[in-house]
Amino acid sequence: MRSVIRVDGEIVEPANADVVETEPGVYSVLLDGRSFEARVAGAEIAIGGHRFSFEIEDPRAWKRSVGAAGAHGRAVISAPMPGKVVRILVEADEQVEAGQGMVVVEAMKMQNEMKAPRAGRVASIAVHEGDSVVAGAVLASIE
Amino acid sequence: MFRKVLIANRGEIALRIIRTLREMGIASVAVYSDADRAALHVRKADEAAHIGPAPSRESYLNIDRILEAAKKHGVDAIHPGYGFLSENARFAHACVDAGFTFIGPPASAIAAMGSKTEARRLAKSGGAPIAPGTEEGLESPGEALRFARDAGFPVMLKAVAGGGGKGMRRVDREADFVSSFESASSEALRAFGDGRVYVEKLIENAHHVEIQVFGDQHGNMIHLGERECSIQRRHQKVIEESPSPLVVKTPGMRERMGEAAIRAAREAGYFNAGTVEFLAENSGQFYFLEMNTRLQVEHPVTELVTGLDVVRLQMEIAAGTKLPFTQEEIALRGAAIECRIYAEDPGNNFFPSPGKITQLSEPAGPGVRVDSGIYAGWTVPLDYDPMLSKLIVWSDARDRAIDRMLRALGEYHVGGIRTNISLFEAVLNDAGFRAGEIHTNYLDEMLRRGISFEKPADEEVKRIAALVALRQQTETAATAGVASSNGSKWIAIGRDALLQ
Repeated sequence: MRSVIRVDGEIVEPANADVVETEPGVYSVLLDGRSFEARVAGAEIAIGGHRFSFEIEDPRAWKRSVGAAGAHGRAVISAPMPGKVVRILVEADEQVEAGQGMVVVEAMKMQNEMKAPRAGRVASIAVHEGDSVVAGAVLASIE
Repeated sequence: MFRKVLIANRGEIALRIIRTLREMGIASVAVYSDADRAALHVRKADEAAHIGPAPSRESYLNIDRILEAAKKHGVDAIHPGYGFLSENARFAHACVDAGFTFIGPPASAIAAMGSKTEARRLAKSGGAPIAPGTEEGLESPGEALRFARDAGFPVMLKAVAGGGGKGMRRVDREADFVSSFESASSEALRAFGDGRVYVEKLIENAHHVEIQVFGDQHGNMIHLGERECSIQRRHQKVIEESPSPLVVKTPGMRERMGEAAIRAAREAGYFNAGTVEFLAENSGQFYFLEMNTRLQVEHPVTELVTGLDVVRLQMEIAAGTKLPFTQEEIALRGAAIECRIYAEDPGNNFFPSPGKITQLSEPAGPGVRVDSGIYAGWTVPLDYDPMLSKLIVWSDARDRAIDRMLRALGEYHVGGIRTNISLFEAVLNDAGFRAGEIHTNYLDEMLRRGISFEKPADEEVKRIAALVALRQQTETAATAGVASSNGSKWIAIGRDALLQ
């Protein structure tokens, strides 16, 4: 069986092109004589100003390689930096869309809406409005 | 000339100064806090001194610790860079008292220009037009309100000891005046220990145009033309250029502004590099705003159009040399633009995005300069300003400089954190910006209208992304010996290195 690749959550058939890794995480792709450069950083790929999240399902290993926007399993929404929870925009068990705002965290006088990395059901909300959170603290999760 | 200079700063500006020092054969001493032990400026300096914990107040703003480091390393002079202690008259004074040359203006000029009402008085007595406003800072709103009624709304409230947008309020209606005055005053009191506020008539849709002046210690003073810095977000400059499109199309404006700037600086007994800021209307009428008594963030655009090294000139003047040229010998050539690259996410309300830089690819090629303080593997600390670098380009005309900047931005890749590069692409492609029809609210208005920072991708690019994802997974699995997550690339590389 072949791997299934999801780009920004949707299944995409890989291009049939010549690809070489030129430096760690940097790929040169030649497709029909046209040249592209792709950079992989964490769970993201950047190509010519576009950014994509990706995920690979490998049926042989029964193991998924899940980026920030994995389509299955549990996705955790965490605080990017220390701050204060000012608003919670969703409820437990609610269905959310990819990109939907979930929790608003204020840090360095800026309000930051933490968004759902993919569609799913809100499995847990780990904070309350007014809570102070440290960097990396789990705010909520999606299943 | 000096043998050894300490740079009381960090990040890209410390690097910028180290480079000139090296060209001049002067040894450099970096200072660093706990958060900056691995910073690029520490790596590139000849010597480095630890000055305390991460919070600025206990390190980069700690005068005693910096002077101790200067003594220990036996330097002749101290360059303050910008920000931190650069406009602190007490620091300039303390450097001189401790026997070091302060590379900048005299402490008395810093103090005079540091009071915004005193600066307005000096500019006025030097003949520069100032926006109508109250002469003195006020502690209560009564007199300020009388002025605002006479002048008409909208008005600006500004802190006498102001800086960085603190204690600053725009007031559109009389009903809001008293509460705005009180909040500006208490903000100023907290930030500067001085709650006095003055009121100024608001000049709407004005260009921010500033003049770079340079004086020596022998009474000579010249200017190096102007910079236009109208593209601002929340009173912070993000794009600067020289020459100003407004000045270019207004006959005699550069000469008039240059003259006004020099006279204001002379009134304060100024020498070394300084910048006189003005607000300018489309008619060419301009008003003195304030004077920055330091090297500016945006000095590279002046360097590119004049061909001068402003930091070298600062060193020479601090060492007592006479200005090596006259006003007539200064010629401006071509057009230069600077973009301030920040670790922040324009797609998410410009939220700061500190963290580890996993990949870095900087632009190069004709007419491109990168003044940077970062490297791949560096973790951007939370403790300081999130500016990573400045991208500066030069070309023979403004149009081509904009095209060159867009090309260079396309080559710039910072992996692992978000940057505001996509913001610059949106602004530089904007018809109004390209026409030079800009003002200080231009960017905020553009953002209010809404800019999409995500470019729509066609199916083919997604298929390429899928191909790369698959290849990356295969390679990671092959290296690590197991099917593993795509996040473990660095572990895989590390393991590779160990096995070699």
